[in-house]
Amino acid sequence: MNLAMNRRRLLGTAGLTALGLTAPGLLAACAGEEEPIVPGDNAQGKIDLWIDVQGDANQKYFTDNVVGNFEKARPKIDLNATFYKGEDLRRLIQTSLQAKSGPDVVRGPSATQTIAWSRAHILADLTPYAKKFGWESKLATWAMQAFTNDGKLYALPMRVDTMLLYYNKSLFATNGWQTPTNRSELEAIAADAHGKGIVPFGSSNVDWKAAGEWLMTVFWNHYSGPDALHQALSGQIQFTDPVFVEAVELVKSYFDKGWIAGGTDKYFSVPSTEIGANFGKGTVAMVPQGNWFMSQVGQYFGAKAKNDNEWDWMPMPALRQEVKYPLFEIGIGGSLAVNAASKNKDAAAEYLDWYYGDKAAALKRMADVPSTYNIPVDFADADIPSTIDARAGRVLTSVNKAVATGDYGYVTWTWWPPKTDVFIYEGLEQVLTGKLTPAQYCQQLADKFKAEKAEGNIPPLPARGPAK
Amino acid sequence: MIAPSVTTMDTAPTGGRPKSRGSKRAWLFLSPLLILNGLVVLGPALATVYYAFTDWSGLGPATFIGFDNFTRAFADPAVHDALWHNVIWFVLFGSIPTAMGLLGAYLLSQVKRFQVLFRALYFIPYVVASVVNAAVWKMLLSPTSGIGHAMGIDHAWLGDPDTSLLSVNFVVDWHWWGFLAVVYLAAMQGVDPELYDAAKMDGANRWQQFTSVTLPGIRPTVVFLSLMTVIWTLKAFDYIFIMTGGGPAGSSEVVSTLMYKQAFNEYEAGYAAALGLTMTVIIGFVLAGYQYLKRKGWEE
Repeated sequence: MNLAMNRRRLLGTAGLTALGLTAPGLLAACAGEEEPIVPGDNAQGKIDLWIDVQGDANQKYFTDNVVGNFEKARPKIDLNATFYKGEDLRRLIQTSLQAKSGPDVVRGPSATQTIAWSRAHILADLTPYAKKFGWESKLATWAMQAFTNDGKLYALPMRVDTMLLYYNKSLFATNGWQTPTNRSELEAIAADAHGKGIVPFGSSNVDWKAAGEWLMTVFWNHYSGPDALHQALSGQIQFTDPVFVEAVELVKSYFDKGWIAGGTDKYFSVPSTEIGANFGKGTVAMVPQGNWFMSQVGQYFGAKAKNDNEWDWMPMPALRQEVKYPLFEIGIGGSLAVNAASKNKDAAAEYLDWYYGDKAAALKRMADVPSTYNIPVDFADADIPSTIDARAGRVLTSVNKAVATGDYGYVTWTWWPPKTDVFIYEGLEQVLTGKLTPAQYCQQLADKFKAEKAEGNIPPLPARGPAK
Repeated sequence: MIAPSVTTMDTAPTGGRPKSRGSKRAWLFLSPLLILNGLVVLGPALATVYYAFTDWSGLGPATFIGFDNFTRAFADPAVHDALWHNVIWFVLFGSIPTAMGLLGAYLLSQVKRFQVLFRALYFIPYVVASVVNAAVWKMLLSPTSGIGHAMGIDHAWLGDPDTSLLSVNFVVDWHWWGFLAVVYLAAMQGVDPELYDAAKMDGANRWQQFTSVTLPGIRPTVVFLSLMTVIWTLKAFDYIFIMTGGGPAGSSEVVSTLMYKQAFNEYEAGYAAALGLTMTVIIGFVLAGYQYLKRKGWEE
């Protein structure tokens, strides 16, 4: 009797064990090569989109102007949008895609991370849809190429990113500071501000650990310069080159002087909302941040924030004589793709075509909400709606001009491979706390980059010079 | 001679069948939960064991690499640092809230009026969601607008590598000790009052009453909560992740936050699974030790 029970238990356990051990194999098997896609002509039905739009007003705007307008334009398709917090969204989507589930339209990470997703065959090959809808003629070539892997298009660029130097215009006027164009002018203002108890550059990684790479993007582009970066990213020189090490030393020296964030310890501990509030009050003079900050910075100024101050932005000054001014880094903040496991790929692709293909609607969104909806569609300055905030409009025209003249640099979250990109901000923390020297940091960076480049985990880099 | 054998023959089938039937029925009722458990707990757990021996990125197929992840973990300074932080965390989390909980419970047991109110007040931090507690304390510990700043101390508690782990631990201790106090109080109320009377008759002072009557009386609770403390130490994640993200420069990194980063930021899910499996083995040893001590009667 006892023996029989033990045997049954043993068999039961063995069965469950087998189930557990088979599951990974099944999952792995599921993640194989995808079937070639043949776009249909009758897209219809329900599609899901998970998106990281935050705040009631922004979500209402998205529901009315994106979901609502799409459903009006494509009445046979029902777009169901669910809102998530940014950091949670990537984890949720990544997990669900691996399980052959999740949304039809995938709000993916930046180009460098999307490569990893495409290589795992969890994103549908969009090349047939790109041909069908003619996306190549509608979107910027450099941005499309960033999402092309082994000749296949896996995602579309969601937002054009660049780095700006925001400044408290009223504070500048009060102190008689002119907008600087080079390092000596910038450092003169920083020294003056610091002497007056004003933090020259507001920055914090409390709410976004990766904020460190924004700083490195700025210093590598405006000190080392885009030519050196292009050479390093294409493997002609290494990140151990003095021009990169010196840029890291310059960042550290600004921290050590208390110019950035008021010091390293405050950079690690003062929340970004507090930095914003201090920026509005005038106890922080400038904030090196991405163009996406434009949709938030207004809340820290004016009657709502109980001050009379105004803000504006300027291009980051050249930190070395050899580097051009003005210069705008270009990159892509996130992507939109189609789930390889979606049962309604045609409808998901229809959504992408509507989102990128209707230029007037896209420009209206760019004008309505600063920077959030800046997709890389081709447009002339005259196409920009007059309702746009002048400062937001200037970002569009400046980036367009920079791309057209070739005066552009590279943001780390688009053009560096994924693990190297993580090391950029994780390693910077080690530099700032004295655990690594700038030279050691650059050496480790070079090692990681070399390994990842060899694995092909790097998006195609646009050649130097004017681009479309 | 005959009678017992007849009795055995008669009673064995009639006594065995209902028991067997009852046992089958019990298994039948349990089966939905067991199947569910197998699918959502055992399946993923076994999958984790499998992935720990692979180079899985978290996406796509995985390749078997034997013990590479484990040998890498043994040599990885980030793992060593994280484990050391777990040890520090354990010492602090295992001692401070327990001591405060015992003291709070003992003092509360002496209070007749407002005891329910105090119990509720002690309990509030525990029932507030960790994400809320962590977000509030992150602001309270700001060097430019927090409590310290108001008191003239502009120290960046979360931004200084020397104090980041201790500061997060302080917040966790703060939210945890009130819960322990309430549980210990409930246990103390189960101690026979006559024992205190007898101790008083023998001339025992308050401290002697506490060490000789109270503590032995609540020992099962203390042992159980100590065991849970060890397990929660190894699982420590939410407050650290929200308040410092393991930083600055890994100064507050524990194994669970390191695992998360490896799996979701570095696309090293196989390595993260190996770290998780290692922690599971450590917890297994702790549980085995607890069971051993329990059998030895340590709890009684």
